[in-house]
Amino acid sequence: MATEAARAVPNEILGWKVTDTVETYDRESIFDYINGAGEVYRSYGFRDVTVWRFSKPDAPEITVEIFDMGSPEDAYGVFSYTRESEESGIGGGYEQRGSVLCFWQNRYYVCLAAYESTDDVRQAVTMLARSIAQQLPQSDGIPPLIGLLPQEGLIEHTQRFFHIHASLNYHYFLAEQNILRLSESTNAVLGVYESGTTYLLCVEYPSAQEAEEAYGSFVENYLPEAAGTGVAMVDVGKWVSATKPGRYVIIALDAVSRESATELTDAMKSSLLDANLVTEGDQ
Amino acid sequence: MSKKNDLITRRDFVKGAGCAALGMAIGLPVLAQEVVPELTKSRVVLVRDKGAVASNGKINGEVIQRMLDQAVMALLEKKDPVDCWKALIKPDDVVGIKSNEWRHLPTTTQVEQAIKKRVMDAGVPEKNISIDDRGVLRNPIFQKATALINARPMRTHAWSGVGSLIKNYIMFDPNPPNYHDNACAPLGKLWELPIVKGKTRLNVLVLLTPLFYGVGPHHFDKTYTWVYGGLAIGTDPVAVDSVGLRLFQAKRKEYFGRERPIKPAAHHIAFADTRYHLGASDPSKIDLVKLGWEEGVLI
Repeated sequence: MATEAARAVPNEILGWKVTDTVETYDRESIFDYINGAGEVYRSYGFRDVTVWRFSKPDAPEITVEIFDMGSPEDAYGVFSYTRESEESGIGGGYEQRGSVLCFWQNRYYVCLAAYESTDDVRQAVTMLARSIAQQLPQSDGIPPLIGLLPQEGLIEHTQRFFHIHASLNYHYFLAEQNILRLSESTNAVLGVYESGTTYLLCVEYPSAQEAEEAYGSFVENYLPEAAGTGVAMVDVGKWVSATKPGRYVIIALDAVSRESATELTDAMKSSLLDANLVTEGDQ
Repeated sequence: MSKKNDLITRRDFVKGAGCAALGMAIGLPVLAQEVVPELTKSRVVLVRDKGAVASNGKINGEVIQRMLDQAVMALLEKKDPVDCWKALIKPDDVVGIKSNEWRHLPTTTQVEQAIKKRVMDAGVPEKNISIDDRGVLRNPIFQKATALINARPMRTHAWSGVGSLIKNYIMFDPNPPNYHDNACAPLGKLWELPIVKGKTRLNVLVLLTPLFYGVGPHHFDKTYTWVYGGLAIGTDPVAVDSVGLRLFQAKRKEYFGRERPIKPAAHHIAFADTRYHLGASDPSKIDLVKLGWEEGVLI
């Protein structure tokens, strides 16, 4: 654990005092701390997590976890993994539900939790989070692809950033097998549109050739009737459109019509063009 | 180009009215070709008692013992709980009680001790009984166990959908991540490990204060637990888990006011049925017997 993270944790907040029990878990030992859910963190560039416990007589213990995710993009990614709402004011963004508050900042994902949610606990958790956020490095780093998702029709807080096949299946079960050839070296963003049933996926591959191969695998295995066009109806009222500009594969899933599917993929492609990430000649 | 036969994609799932009820419940339809056509019904007994959990959260051991006794009598259709346990366990058995020690929601000492008492009543000496979770592979009793009792609470889980009875055996493999692929779909395979295969005599799904919704990838918040005061038991772990999953979906619908499928889909339960043939996940193949406190039973 970087000393900058350790320095960010105060000794006391509203009568809760940090205890001597400080634990650190790395990519291998994470399962000793949080069982199989450790895979969520390992699906990103997770390096380690350090856990502090704050105690106060006759009050629930507060746990502080600081995950070093290796990069701001992956800190945002793990934050986006289960996020249902988001508020600003702590770190790059935070979410508080019940007695749990999680935020991301720079390459850190920070979670504070207590067993019970009382007014005192919530106040202490919020103050503790603000204190830690003030001490951590201030720069953020939302993955650029997140900002390129078309805004029209995008449902708030549904944007996800991830790398691997298992994460895609968590958000949208596509296939048991890894037909999009996702890996630690791919960057993927997913957003939900319209009435909550249409998804837009954009994957950035290390090379145009890898994107081409992934696109071919997707069409062959998921959309065989769309060979040559990249558009097909997969169920009644559910259209899929796919395209592959440069190093990117863009797929609209379960759109209500052919037009809405292609409009989404076209809009994403335009965003990539505007950001100079692809050129008009990229197919 | 044509799709390869061994690939399973979203498009392969049965849709609409023909979909198996469990598949719908978990948010992922069951593959038609994987539904086992002939299965004898698996009995699951759900027993509830309003007094199992006090208002201060304390678990009442006497009530738990009574619930367990009622449930095994209904399961085995006998009038005496000790006779039931004698049917499940022989005096010369070496018995491992596989518990779960997750700090926020453990199996509970009361449930562990209620099981242990009846195992001893069946004639097993205390020295041949052990309760363990993470240490099972190093535990000499579990190493030579001839019988296992599987007991754990159900809770939501960010990688497998729910922490289930099926999943509770993951500590019997020295490398648990081997079972993490595809939202833990292969968990049913655990039950083929020599250290557990064919040894499980009873499964006890603890539904006293279940966690029906998770905050963040791994966090516990008491806000999303409720006092259900239940135990679900059976000899078929898949059937018991399937009942637990239905309960969770019903609770989530009640709490959120709309269908709120568990993420990721807890499809390891269906796969334990269709791929590993461990038991029955389809509600139509489960004989659910409900006892006790009826208010808020949800299923």
